[in-house]
Amino acid sequence: MEAPQYVAARVQQALAEDGRTHELGIRVDIRGDQLFLRGQVSGAEQRERLGQVAHEVAPELHVHNEINVVEASAPGEDEHLD
Amino acid sequence: MTDLRIAAVGDIHLGEDVRGQYRKKLDGIEDRADVFMLAGDLTRHGTLEEGKVVADELRGLPIPVVAVLGNHDYHSDLQYEIASELRDAGVIVLDDDGVVVQCGDKKLGVVGGKGFGGGFAGKCASEFGEREIKNFVSHTRHIAEAWKVALKEIVADHRVVLSHYSPIKETLEGEPHEIYPFLGSYLLAEAVDTAGADLILHGHAHKGSEKGMTPGGIRVRNVALPVLGRAYCVYCLDCEDDMQSHEG
Repeated sequence: MEAPQYVAARVQQALAEDGRTHELGIRVDIRGDQLFLRGQVSGAEQRERLGQVAHEVAPELHVHNEINVVEASAPGEDEHLD
Repeated sequence: MTDLRIAAVGDIHLGEDVRGQYRKKLDGIEDRADVFMLAGDLTRHGTLEEGKVVADELRGLPIPVVAVLGNHDYHSDLQYEIASELRDAGVIVLDDDGVVVQCGDKKLGVVGGKGFGGGFAGKCASEFGEREIKNFVSHTRHIAEAWKVALKEIVADHRVVLSHYSPIKETLEGEPHEIYPFLGSYLLAEAVDTAGADLILHGHAHKGSEKGMTPGGIRVRNVALPVLGRAYCVYCLDCEDDMQSHEG
């Protein structure tokens, strides 16, 4: 059986290099047959694509997609640099 | 004396599926800021189609727009074509050079480019050993030298440096320490400290923190959109009436 660290590294590399995702900052943790994705992306579609790529790279694991979608809000208070 | 108001953001990562959405968030930016700066990673995969989306989102804004590219914008080896699309849309794209933007009665000098990595003093790569490592470090060194020369040559009331990679590790707090060498280099800060500037803006570190300063005391702001959580932030230089810094 392949060590989970190598599987996690392969998933993380795929998330960065797959043309559908190219997401560099996603954390991948494996515990037993469970794979957890954590991080932030700007859209729900990107979150789904990340889950799909992770599933394809490690189909034997159950993927828990815990990635948050963060929407950019309106600009807030200015900062004055004196 | 009037404030010089700089709106800034990085890492907007636009793709064809979000066409038109970011532009809506720029409505009224001319009432809030004198210039809009983009700190790289404007696209997701660096394709020309994405570059055209970015160009369309920024086209015809009523204030000057200055941008640099980020590593994502280089991914498809189409960085020059993307820069050309942006320039055709009226965006000033810096590539290790500078520009002077007229903001009301002030001249704002902006110097910058993509920047690059290598790490921070005491924990960084050196130009030693294999050619690949030497190329990595010397790429950053050449960029830093170009910025220093551009900053010294520019004539303006204020000077701001616009980068994608970080010049300091303080604004990387939150990122894993192991990847700091891929997020920035102290060589960038050293160059700017030598030549002088009022502010450095960068992106790239989505999990980093917003505020820091160089060893020489120049304010640094990580304006990556995931860090700001907002469409852009506004930084004011020369604030005589309200000298208080709005922290937090």
